[in-house]
Amino acid sequence: MSKVLSLNKSIYLIIALALLIFPFVSDSRTWTILLTQIFIFAILAMSYDLLLGYTGIVSFGHAMFFGIGAYSTGIVLDTFGPTLLFFVLSIAIGFILAAVVSFFVGILTLRLKSHYFAMLTLALSGLFLVAAEKWRSLTFGNDGFTFRAPEIFQDRLVFYLLSLGCLIAVFIFLKRFVSSPMGHVLISVRENENRTASLGFKTLHYKVIASVVAGVFASLAGSLYAVSLRFVNTSVMTMDITLDALLMTIIGGVGTLVGPILGAGVIELAQHYLSGLARDYPIFERWIILFGILYIVAVIFFPRGIVGGIQSIYARLTGKKVKVAGPMKKSVVKS
Amino acid sequence: MELLINLLINGLATGMLIFLLAAGLTLIFGLMSVLNFAHGGLFVWGAFAAVWMYATTGSFILAILGAVVTGVILGFVTEKLIITPVYGNHVQQILITLGFMLVLTEMIKVVFGPNQLAAKVPPYLAGSWEVGDVILIKYRMFIILIGFVVFGIIQFILKRTKIGLIVRAGVLNKEMVQALGNNIKQVFLFTFIAGAALAALGGALMAPYSGVVYAEMGLEFGILAFIVVVIGGMGSLPGSLMAAILVGLAGSFMAYYVPALSLAVNMILMALVLIFRPQGLFAAKG
Repeated sequence: MSKVLSLNKSIYLIIALALLIFPFVSDSRTWTILLTQIFIFAILAMSYDLLLGYTGIVSFGHAMFFGIGAYSTGIVLDTFGPTLLFFVLSIAIGFILAAVVSFFVGILTLRLKSHYFAMLTLALSGLFLVAAEKWRSLTFGNDGFTFRAPEIFQDRLVFYLLSLGCLIAVFIFLKRFVSSPMGHVLISVRENENRTASLGFKTLHYKVIASVVAGVFASLAGSLYAVSLRFVNTSVMTMDITLDALLMTIIGGVGTLVGPILGAGVIELAQHYLSGLARDYPIFERWIILFGILYIVAVIFFPRGIVGGIQSIYARLTGKKVKVAGPMKKSVVKS
Repeated sequence: MELLINLLINGLATGMLIFLLAAGLTLIFGLMSVLNFAHGGLFVWGAFAAVWMYATTGSFILAILGAVVTGVILGFVTEKLIITPVYGNHVQQILITLGFMLVLTEMIKVVFGPNQLAAKVPPYLAGSWEVGDVILIKYRMFIILIGFVVFGIIQFILKRTKIGLIVRAGVLNKEMVQALGNNIKQVFLFTFIAGAALAALGGALMAPYSGVVYAEMGLEFGILAFIVVVIGGMGSLPGSLMAAILVGLAGSFMAYYVPALSLAVNMILMALVLIFRPQGLFAAKG
């Protein structure tokens, strides 16, 4: 097992190094921007996977934390000036707001059953969207506002490296988090909540902690996203953001941390290329259908996404049994 | 007074449209414990099918029929392809029906084009009656009438027929119904198709009411229908009717008196119900 782990680790290290030196080798501005986008959405998707993949909670309100981060950064930089200090401060403000909101949302809603929780998070993020539309003095509603990013981020390269750094840091943190005793409790909540509770764990506490951690990282992704565009409008709060995170997580591989990163890459790249193709073949304008179908097929046949698929092929080649678990495991849930 | 009556009728008409969606949703949930996030997609397909049929044939009745047939076909396909593989797993159901919703919405844009379509009220339902100084818009009255008729028909089927008995029993205890020799899968399919047809009918009636149809309205109305089902209690048909009227009225009165809150009022209603009475205001009793 330790051999496999070290193999995994060295692969991650090689990929991280390759991404690190990539902008120094290649001169392509498009690629730098595209990869930055992928890193940002990978952070969002990983934070979503902590809920969906590790704790077994379906939240349809993840966009609200992304939006909180994006608006915190946008508003702080716009009001106080584009310096690095205020950028860091704005991220911190996003963290605090996201943590407070996710804490209260969690306490109020996580005791409900999965259906109700999914709907209530949908409704609450809808409320945030409405607030963002209506509180025009602060958010400028759907028109949004542009702001100046700190001087140093004018260089795309610096921002690329910052996003990559954040991605790696979040990845390592979450990796540690899910393999800590705390993370094991979360996984056991996913597998069987009643049993976890009967073993003496207050499952609500653990679920709230998971939702706070996920909310905070989603807010980080939102902050970075705002700076990458230098523009914020209500689109950061819409259902589309949650859907993106969901598609990335499911297609990449739910219940793994590499999966969402991979999913973010696949979806962003496909979006880029397919909308390029759409100029010649209008059918590709509807590329989301492709992903919708892929997503449905994944939910039914490959519940563990690309990563799960690779793992099982690898296991078949080496003749090892791979542990199949996750929120998508076939199990009869009594309502 | 005139204003109050107009707001009342607006609210009732909207409520009835939401009820048509919520009725299928609540039965499907109560019976199969499947939360169908694709329900709004069926609604929007009904709306587009009706607009297209009306533009082609010029007959409103054919348009409604076309929408209902679309709903039946889509309902059948959805149940067989999407719902059957994931019975018993809530997380998978939520995820897969949401994915299907996405596909349905995008397919609308492929089939009917990405732009919104204008929908006309048929001439014999256009215009209004004047009673004293109160103006009653015909089409809204028509929707309210249809809503009550549909409610009556569903109630009749549920309370007076064999299949209704099986459906009601299934909501309370489906294992027992199956043990007594009823093919519960067939009942599921029947209920799902009926729910889909109702959603499509709702869409068909909605189109002339709002004047335009667009692909994204599926999600908007889908969310409203969920709110209604939650407030009314999952599996309860009268509960859904009451809640739909409540949501419709709250929407129309808020839009007039406190417009800033009109978008939020339903969400707040649902949040309060979920927090203080998660089983809904009119939950089906065992």
